[in-house]
Amino acid sequence: MKRLFSELRGKRGGNKAMKRFLVFLEQREGVVKQASIDTWNRVQELATLRPDITVTGLLAGPADLLQLEGRMAGTGVLYLASEARFSIYNPERYQRLITDIMKREACSDLFFADTVLSRDLAPRLSVRLQASLLSGCSIVEDIASEGSCTRALYSGSVIASFAPRRPLRIYTTSSRPTHPIIPSEAYISLVRLEPPGFIEAAFLPVVRGLVMRESGSDVAEAGIIVAGGRGMGSAEDFEQLEELARLLGGVVGASRPVVDEGWRPHAEQIGQTGKTVAPALYVACAISGAPQHLAGIGSARKVVAINSDPHAPIFDVADYGIVGDVHLVLPKLIEGLQEFLKKR
Amino acid sequence: MVVQWLSGETAMDIAVCLCQVPDTASVISVLDGAVDLSRVHEVMNPFDEYALEEAVRLKERFEGSVVTLFCAAPPSAKEMLRKALALGGDRAVLISGTEEPSDPFQTALLLSRAISACYATALPDLILCGKHSTDFQSAQVPLMLAELLDIASVSAIIKLNASTEGIQVEREIEGGIELLDLHYPALFSVEKGLNVPRKTTIKAVIEARKKPIEHLSLTLSESPFVAITAMKPLIRKKQCRFVSDAKELIRLLSHEEALF
Repeated sequence: MKRLFSELRGKRGGNKAMKRFLVFLEQREGVVKQASIDTWNRVQELATLRPDITVTGLLAGPADLLQLEGRMAGTGVLYLASEARFSIYNPERYQRLITDIMKREACSDLFFADTVLSRDLAPRLSVRLQASLLSGCSIVEDIASEGSCTRALYSGSVIASFAPRRPLRIYTTSSRPTHPIIPSEAYISLVRLEPPGFIEAAFLPVVRGLVMRESGSDVAEAGIIVAGGRGMGSAEDFEQLEELARLLGGVVGASRPVVDEGWRPHAEQIGQTGKTVAPALYVACAISGAPQHLAGIGSARKVVAINSDPHAPIFDVADYGIVGDVHLVLPKLIEGLQEFLKKR
Repeated sequence: MVVQWLSGETAMDIAVCLCQVPDTASVISVLDGAVDLSRVHEVMNPFDEYALEEAVRLKERFEGSVVTLFCAAPPSAKEMLRKALALGGDRAVLISGTEEPSDPFQTALLLSRAISACYATALPDLILCGKHSTDFQSAQVPLMLAELLDIASVSAIIKLNASTEGIQVEREIEGGIELLDLHYPALFSVEKGLNVPRKTTIKAVIEARKKPIEHLSLTLSESPFVAITAMKPLIRKKQCRFVSDAKELIRLLSHEEALF
């Protein structure tokens, strides 16, 4: 289905009785984050629950807009702050941009995807706007009615509901893959923002540079993760996981002991002192499933566990399991996948 | 302010914010809609250990520097503060309000007032915090504190290089690393990987007994921004389907789950 994608200039009129939700869209090097698009689509879903909600978007920094075509659901205005000075995240600049739009549009609720950027920016905005900040929301449906949301605490052993106490509210929502049903009348207007009039003082800190890893991919954003635990045996044994990840189009992750051993970098660590991930598929190889590790994979859609111990706690949270030595199972899995992919 | 001594050496005032979390072995149970803390053993937040270690390393490098620990918690946190003093802190401030802070904003508020009160004329040169507490993982307090103190800040740093002129830091972003430059004063929240914290020694534990823990009583006049309205145990058990061979697994994942 082809969706209308128009560009408007100037300001639109507004109805004061409407409840206005603002969704912040994040880009890096011109690519809009999938997590931001997911958040936009989730907020659009919320808006269908209440007819008095309007959704507005704000995209900071120059970005390729064609990539958004057909991926964003619903109706609303998307503001583009496409000046080069917004291309790299700067807390002060971004704060001023967002507060400006919040005021101009009389928005009551601000939404971010739960990312490295929003974890830095949202708490600052909370103080500046005197707004309630509800971060890492996994269940958001109650936001439309009461403003409350739900998320897991204490390594995923407790689930808690948080309610805002201020008239302005900020939410960061944890990732959940969305497959938006885009109706033919879906209509998003693009509005280029006039350069915001704030004075460019020496905003600190200054970003001196950006060093991206060769693949540029991150476990926090991956759709498929192949993770290994101490039972892998050595750093070299992770080559098999890399091969499996490559075949599946995913990335390699690691449990804490593996990182502590220095087999893998901390950027790949998943769990309480690592990253929280939300892939469609999580393959846990030789990971026993300590609560600290499970804390990071609560949002994984399907979990596959390969472990030699049939009583390993990882099997309690797995959808599919193979009991066996990873060193024997992995070569078969790799071989089987190679065959499978060849046939397709 | 960074004091330039005649020798050319620099002394810094460093504040470290600490909090307590249940240790990883604790069983968390919910009682009347709240976590039953009576069955929980509390320890220093693991991320705060990296913040403290970095502060102590800076103190060792810049002679004459003073590391002050700040903690907004009930009096029972004293034991944790003693340990932090044994790890290299010079003095500690235990902040108690008329009531306990109930959200990150109130905690940040108490910390900002305590820091302002302790460094009467200026801010400390550096404020270090853990990236987040491992129990709630909100990661809100450090940045709220920076905003309240109106101080430059960077979150989740994995490298810190301080000189008399300024500070260079690195932080991890999705898929890479961001390099940043700052001037003093600055606040950082720290990520795992910044350093490997030291262990306490018996000598340090004995010496820590002589170090001061000051009690600071503050009134919380502002209401919290957020309230917890419900809490219940989360049971995440799935029914695992065991398969005997790799081929069968591939078939299930591709055909039944349509994952690839």
